[in-house]
Amino acid sequence: MTEGKKINIVLAGQGNAGKSTIFNYLTGLHQHTGNWAGKTIEKFEGTLYYKGYTIDVFDLPGIYSLTTYSVEEVISREYIIKQKPDVVINIIDSTNLERNLIFTLQLLELECPVILALNMVDLALKKGITIDSAKLQKIINAPVIPTIASRGSGLTDIIDKAIELKEGKTEYRVPRYGKEIESRIEDLSQYVKDVDLPYPSRWIAIKLLEKDRDIVTNIRGKDPRILKEAGEAIYRLEEIHGHDSSVVISDERTLLASHITREIVNIRPHRKLSLNEKLEIITTHKIIGYFIMILILGAMFVGVFSFGNWLSSLFESVFQNWHEWWNNELGTTLTAALGWAAVESVLALVQIALPYILPFYILLYILEDWGYIARISFLMDNFMHKMGIHGKGCISFIIGLGCNVPGCLSCRIMESKRERFITAVLVTLVPCSAVSVIIFGLVGKYVGLLWALGLYLFAMIVIFLTGKLSSKFIGGEPVELIMPMPDYKTPNLKTILYETWDALKEFIYIAAPIVIISGVFIQAINLAGWMPAISSFLSPVTEKWLGLPAVTGILLIFGILRKELILVMLAAYLGTTSFIDVLSPQQMITLSVVSMFYVPCVATISVLWKDFGWKKAMAVCILEILFAIAIAGIVKRALDLVF
Amino acid sequence: MNKDKEQVRLLDLEDGRTGIIISITGGKMLTKRLADLGLSTGTKIKILRKTPFSGPVQVEVRSSKLVLGRGLAYKIMVEIQ
Repeated sequence: MTEGKKINIVLAGQGNAGKSTIFNYLTGLHQHTGNWAGKTIEKFEGTLYYKGYTIDVFDLPGIYSLTTYSVEEVISREYIIKQKPDVVINIIDSTNLERNLIFTLQLLELECPVILALNMVDLALKKGITIDSAKLQKIINAPVIPTIASRGSGLTDIIDKAIELKEGKTEYRVPRYGKEIESRIEDLSQYVKDVDLPYPSRWIAIKLLEKDRDIVTNIRGKDPRILKEAGEAIYRLEEIHGHDSSVVISDERTLLASHITREIVNIRPHRKLSLNEKLEIITTHKIIGYFIMILILGAMFVGVFSFGNWLSSLFESVFQNWHEWWNNELGTTLTAALGWAAVESVLALVQIALPYILPFYILLYILEDWGYIARISFLMDNFMHKMGIHGKGCISFIIGLGCNVPGCLSCRIMESKRERFITAVLVTLVPCSAVSVIIFGLVGKYVGLLWALGLYLFAMIVIFLTGKLSSKFIGGEPVELIMPMPDYKTPNLKTILYETWDALKEFIYIAAPIVIISGVFIQAINLAGWMPAISSFLSPVTEKWLGLPAVTGILLIFGILRKELILVMLAAYLGTTSFIDVLSPQQMITLSVVSMFYVPCVATISVLWKDFGWKKAMAVCILEILFAIAIAGIVKRALDLVF
Repeated sequence: MNKDKEQVRLLDLEDGRTGIIISITGGKMLTKRLADLGLSTGTKIKILRKTPFSGPVQVEVRSSKLVLGRGLAYKIMVEIQ
């Protein structure tokens, strides 16, 4: 069967339409994630073997339009145009049909073979919405298949249809817009017809009328006379409609989408509020909503840490004799010592980071799939605005509590470069699970739980003030929040597990290589006997200013790799985990404060580097080091008065 | 335009009330983004709820729910239905 025929299909659609559920159902474990060339945006690709066909499935990012606001939109549109997939499956949220159809119309403009998956028809039915899919199929001249992705229903029909489309000849009869607009498009596409570009001429004409930056630049390079024609058409459109031609085109799509919706949808409103609607009212309530949010996030926090502590100590007992065994088997040669450094780095990752990150992701994706994360953005928007970013940034903060790396990666949901950068910088100040290990392992255990919680509050204040300052310093207007609010739905276990697995894989891919290389490197420095020199070099800062033992200089260097190493190495260095014997309470608090802020870990720095360039990444590191040293020194002096 | 229909900012529309968008004052990018989501002049928009402490507003447009930042809700003028 290896000689089977190949089909290349693409999943496209708005966020929350169930795209990833369908992708996971179709491709199962035959998935590989990578990044789009030069971008930190994940590319999901999978393979499906079906009826002798090898079907490659691409999952495009969830987007709301095919213009060029965000990197995701550009990527999606370029992929469809350049790679010419055999079939584009447009996944539609049936409960938000009209808005989703606007996107569908944009897809159809690209004149590629489209299949519509009317997903979540069960939820639509619950809301009293019935959709005449046969009629829709007729109107848009593309196959329409009702699906319930969470139960897998309708999904094989899609694939059967895709094979049919691939084998048969499809003619495109794209839905037409109003007469007036359509004649402008028609006129302009006559001029575009002979231009050597890999796009359909009608689409180019539409994009010219929409003043699409990429297309205008493209055309300017080919035949600038066309721009003059376009300019005239735009002038007429704007004269008649009284607003920007790009909006005129959008309005035209919206009009058609709403016309189609009226033709095919039948709504029977029901008086009784459903459970989800009641939930909606409570969780977004002016006062109760905030209490519930604090309760949910607090429970999540406690859950992650109690589970993490349990799993971490389980791993600890499993790994405890491995070093001895290694030394017995391989001796204490230089290579063996360096080899152990590599192994130990991986073990530390498994033992210290994984137990916290795993439950964190599971809970995060439960909240996400349920629809609660959007409610947090809603509730927190105002607070986030004070830091110069909008409510969606809050999601990155929450993810950052687990690990700063995916936290920074998630900043790409912010619309502008300015907001992406501010959010990413603030995320690096969010205490990740590794920092939490230090806070709880030192302060929580030996000074008191209230002090530990106080440190979190302190971090929040620092983040808030940094946000305020940096948005002032960087300048620019914050982008307004525009966010679709998905309905609550029962979380789908399969989706949650897949998402968790993807996130873990990404974390391991990014963190593991850096951790191993740096672990070996530092062990080499150690074996070369340079450590005492380094710690005495740093002693003016560590001993004099911060009042910490000189050894912390080395620990803080280790901490750049992974922050929890500060604690791990301290234990290794002292030969005891009873930290109270060697550190006073104020030293513990000071050390925690330094660890929280002093520098993002290597993995996070590498993400900053990739996304914002080395200059900005280095600037953030240096500023944070200076800031951490300054603030910790001040905290130390304040604590001297208390203790 | 009907004279006895009152015009207010979307922000000042009470919870549960519906209005028709008559203008959006904002940059090109913003109006285009909104238009792509189906929000432009003439669109019916219903305020579902606002958050306290000058937070965003939740609205219903074309039977789907959206959250709009407060600054944005300030820039949208509606005619009360």
